[in-house]
Amino acid sequence: MHIMEGFLPLYWAVFWWIIALPCLVFGIYQLKKVLEADREALPLLGVTGGFIFILSSLKLPSVTGSCSHPTGTGLSTICFGPWITSVICAIVLLFQSLFLAHGGLSVLGANIVSMGIVGPLAGYGVYRALRDSRVNMYLTVFLVCAFADLFTYFTTSLELALAYPAEVGGIASSFILFMSIFAITQIPLAIVEAVVLTLVFKYIVQLKPDILLRLKIFPEQKIIAARSES
Amino acid sequence: MAFRYRLEILAIIAVLGFCALFLYTSSIMTDAEFAGADTLGSSKVAEITGKAEEEFQPLVWQWAPPSGEIEAGIFALQAAIGGIMVGWVFGYWKGQKKREPIK
Repeated sequence: MHIMEGFLPLYWAVFWWIIALPCLVFGIYQLKKVLEADREALPLLGVTGGFIFILSSLKLPSVTGSCSHPTGTGLSTICFGPWITSVICAIVLLFQSLFLAHGGLSVLGANIVSMGIVGPLAGYGVYRALRDSRVNMYLTVFLVCAFADLFTYFTTSLELALAYPAEVGGIASSFILFMSIFAITQIPLAIVEAVVLTLVFKYIVQLKPDILLRLKIFPEQKIIAARSES
Repeated sequence: MAFRYRLEILAIIAVLGFCALFLYTSSIMTDAEFAGADTLGSSKVAEITGKAEEEFQPLVWQWAPPSGEIEAGIFALQAAIGGIMVGWVFGYWKGQKKREPIK
């Protein structure tokens, strides 16, 4: 989902930075609050952040004959919400722009907005809608992860389309063009990513259900039901 | 009623399906290079603007890994950092659980 360094005009790069910065500041503030309230949240943060590191380093081949990254942001979105997820994404994206020439410092703002803000926000919307509903807990996790991944790529396409409207058809037609590169490639990746992260969530439920209960990530009866099932 | 390893089975099916899909596409699309979607996005930008890709110069100076091997190595390093964090925490939780089992 990276926009490459130099591929956004300066004003768009600055624009996305202006959106990203307040979100990061709020994320750091929230992170401090969560960790002060409960030190046992730190290992959970390690697992969810660790998966963002692992998954976003993998470039997987897809049906379109090209490769793309999963994002891995779904778990962290469920456990800590979108803003703390933005902070973790910012760290990963900074690493990739400094050492891998994937993305870059000027487009970092745009990349944080797509992977760290809009993707997780979309996932968070799904989570809030389904958390207290009768939908199965694991299905909820699956949907959140898939949405967070797909919306990251929607956003990248939109960011590029806004900066580069096509001569014929303008923003809409270049959005479709970029979507054809990013979104179709991403659909199988999003499904595999979401299945894997759901499995990881199952292991968290089995090993450390008390932290999920304390952070009120899912209603108690859902977690108890999931534990008695397995 | 629910089978204990239902999720594990589903995950294995999804991953195997993904591999099968890859083998299938790579066999029918002989011209597929499996380049990064990032790179394809960049060349689409060049196509729309009508400029050559080389004209897009970094706005901020950037270090790039000198070769694909080095890039792969740094990606592996990134995955390893994540893997260590995940493994460490699951081990920590496992140890905690052993000491004070959850009811």
